[in-house]
Amino acid sequence: MTSATLPAVRTGKPSSIRVGRILLYVVLTVGAILMITPFVWMLLSAFKSDLEIAKFGWLPGELRWHNFVEAMRTAPFLRYFRNSLFIAVGETAFTLAVCTTAGYALAKLPLRGSKTLLNYFILLLLVPFQIILVPLFLIVKSIPLFGGNNILGQGGIGWLNSWWGLIIPLGAAPLFTFLARQFYVTVPNELAQAARVDGLGEFGIFWRIMTPLIKPALITICVFQIEAAWNGFLWPLMITTSDSMRPLQLGLAIFSQNSAEIQWPYLMAGTALATLPMIVLFVFAQKRFVEGMANVGIKG
Amino acid sequence: MSTTLERPALATPRKVAPAKDSRKLIRSQVRAGWVLLSPALLHSGIFIVIPVVAVLVLSLTDYSFGDTWAWVGFGNYSDLFRDVDFQASLWHTVLYALVVIPISMAISLAVAIGLNQKIKGLGFFRTAFYIPTVTATVAVATIWLWIYNPGSGLANGFLSLFGFAPNRWLADPATALPSLMVVGIWQGLGTKIIIYLAALQGVSRDLLESAELDGANRWQKFLNVTWPAIGPVQFFVLITSIVGTFQVFDLVYVMTQGGPGSETRVLVMDIYQNAFQDLKLGYASAETVIMMVVIALFIGVGRLIQKADAND
Repeated sequence: MTSATLPAVRTGKPSSIRVGRILLYVVLTVGAILMITPFVWMLLSAFKSDLEIAKFGWLPGELRWHNFVEAMRTAPFLRYFRNSLFIAVGETAFTLAVCTTAGYALAKLPLRGSKTLLNYFILLLLVPFQIILVPLFLIVKSIPLFGGNNILGQGGIGWLNSWWGLIIPLGAAPLFTFLARQFYVTVPNELAQAARVDGLGEFGIFWRIMTPLIKPALITICVFQIEAAWNGFLWPLMITTSDSMRPLQLGLAIFSQNSAEIQWPYLMAGTALATLPMIVLFVFAQKRFVEGMANVGIKG
Repeated sequence: MSTTLERPALATPRKVAPAKDSRKLIRSQVRAGWVLLSPALLHSGIFIVIPVVAVLVLSLTDYSFGDTWAWVGFGNYSDLFRDVDFQASLWHTVLYALVVIPISMAISLAVAIGLNQKIKGLGFFRTAFYIPTVTATVAVATIWLWIYNPGSGLANGFLSLFGFAPNRWLADPATALPSLMVVGIWQGLGTKIIIYLAALQGVSRDLLESAELDGANRWQKFLNVTWPAIGPVQFFVLITSIVGTFQVFDLVYVMTQGGPGSETRVLVMDIYQNAFQDLKLGYASAETVIMMVVIALFIGVGRLIQKADAND
C-alpha cells in the first residue's frame, strides 16, 4: 500500500506518474468508502420495515420516518438528547472558565515555579480517567453538604446522580489548560505592557486584551470538549441511577442491551440521533478539529 | 512531547518597566496569576491528584463501601494473580493493544502520506477518515453490532457476495476478539491520520530537495529524511494509542459484554465489575494499579524502540 501511495512528483516517466496518481485515488477512495459505509448502512436501516430488516439488503422500500417517532416512543431519546446537550454545554462553559484563566497565568504572568506548574499539568494530562475511576467515584460520593452529606462528606450520596457530578469532575481537563497556554504564549507581551501603561488592571488585560486574541484556540477547546462530553459513557454509567439524568450514549447502550429481540430499525434511528449532531459539528468546524489535533500532536 | 518544554519560559516580561512602581506592578501580576491559576489547581488536586494517590492506598485495603475495612497489604495483588477473570482480561487487553496499535499506526501513516501528495479533494478524504473518530464509541459499537448481525448484517451480506459461508462473528469465540479489533482500528484512524498529516507537512522542504539533488530516490528520501523528521510525532501517536487501547471499554460493553464466555473480557470491564457490581473497591484498585504498571511498561518499550530507531 505504501509504495502505491507514494507516486513520483518530479522523477520518473510521465506515464508512471499518471498510473501512480490513479492508484492513489483508487486506494484513498476505497478507504473513504470503508469509513462511510457503516453510517450509510445505519441510516438506510433506520428506514426499514421489520420484514426488510430480516433479510440482507441495502435500500428500504420507502422512507419510514415514523420509525424515528416510534424509536422515541420506546425510549425517551429526546430527553436523553436534552440531557447530553445540557452536560455538553455546562462542561464546556466550566472548562473555558477554568482552563483559559490557568493557561493565561502559566503563559504570561511571572509566577515563581511556573515551569514546574506547567510540567505538573503536562504530567496530569497523561493520567487516563480509567486509572482513577474507583477513587473518583468515592470522592464525588463524599462531596460535603451535597446530596444529604454532612460537612465531612458522610451520610449521603454527594454528587452522585446529580448534574454537578456529571459535569464538574470530568470538565477542565489538564489537556485544555495546556492547549490554552500554548496559544497565549504566542500573543506578544508588548500588548499587555501597553495596556498596563494605560492603567488597565491584570484581570482586564486577561479578559479584554489577551483572550480575544486567542479566539481560534477557544473554539478548538469548545469543539473538543463538546465532543468529549457528548460521547462520554463510562462516567455517566457509574454515577447515574435515574433515567431522568441519563445522557444519550448511556440511553442508547441500555436500549441496545435490554431485550433478546432488538428492534434494529428503531435502534438505528436512535443511533442516528446520537451520531448526526457530532458529524454536523465536525463538518462545520473541521478546520478547528484539525488545527487542534495538530497543535496537541505537533507542538505538544 | 518535549518541544515546548525546551522553549524558554516567557513568564517574566522581557522589558521590566524602569519606573519605581515596577515592583508593585510585578506584585499585582503575581497576585492575579495565583488567583487565575487557583481554580485549575484546586480542580486537578481534588479530581486527579487525590484519586491517583487514593488508588494506591485503596489497593492495600479490603474497602467495599461499608464502615469497616482493614489493611490487607499485598493480599489483593496475590489474589489477582490467581483470578482467572483477571488473567483473561489482562491477556485480551494486551493482545488487543499489540494488534490494534501497529496496524492502525501503519494504515494511518500510509493514508497520511497519500493525502500529503497535493491531491484534489483533501477536505473530503479528511472528513471521511475522521468521522468515525468524532462519533461516540457507543454509537459506533451499536452500528457494528448490527453489521456483525449473523442473520441479515452487512458483514455476512458482504461475504455472501464472494460465495463465503456466513460467520457468527461476535458469537464465535474464534472471531469475537478480532471482530472488536477491526472496529477499534477503524475508529482510531482519523486522529492518527490528522496528526501524521500535520507532521508530514512540517518536514523540511529544503532537506527533501537537497536529498533529491544528491540523487536519492523516493524510498531513500522517505527513509532518510521524512522518517527521522516525524520521529517525535510517532512517539506521541504511540503513547496516546497505548493509553487509548488499554482503556477500551465502551466497545466491549455494547458489543459483547465480555462474551462469549470471557473471550472478549478486557481490563476496564473487569475493574468496573469488581468495583461497581461486586463492590470490591480495594481489589479493583489493585487491578488499576497493575494496569498502570502495564501501560508504563508498554510506554517504556516504545521509548526503547524509538531510541534504537533514532540511533540507526
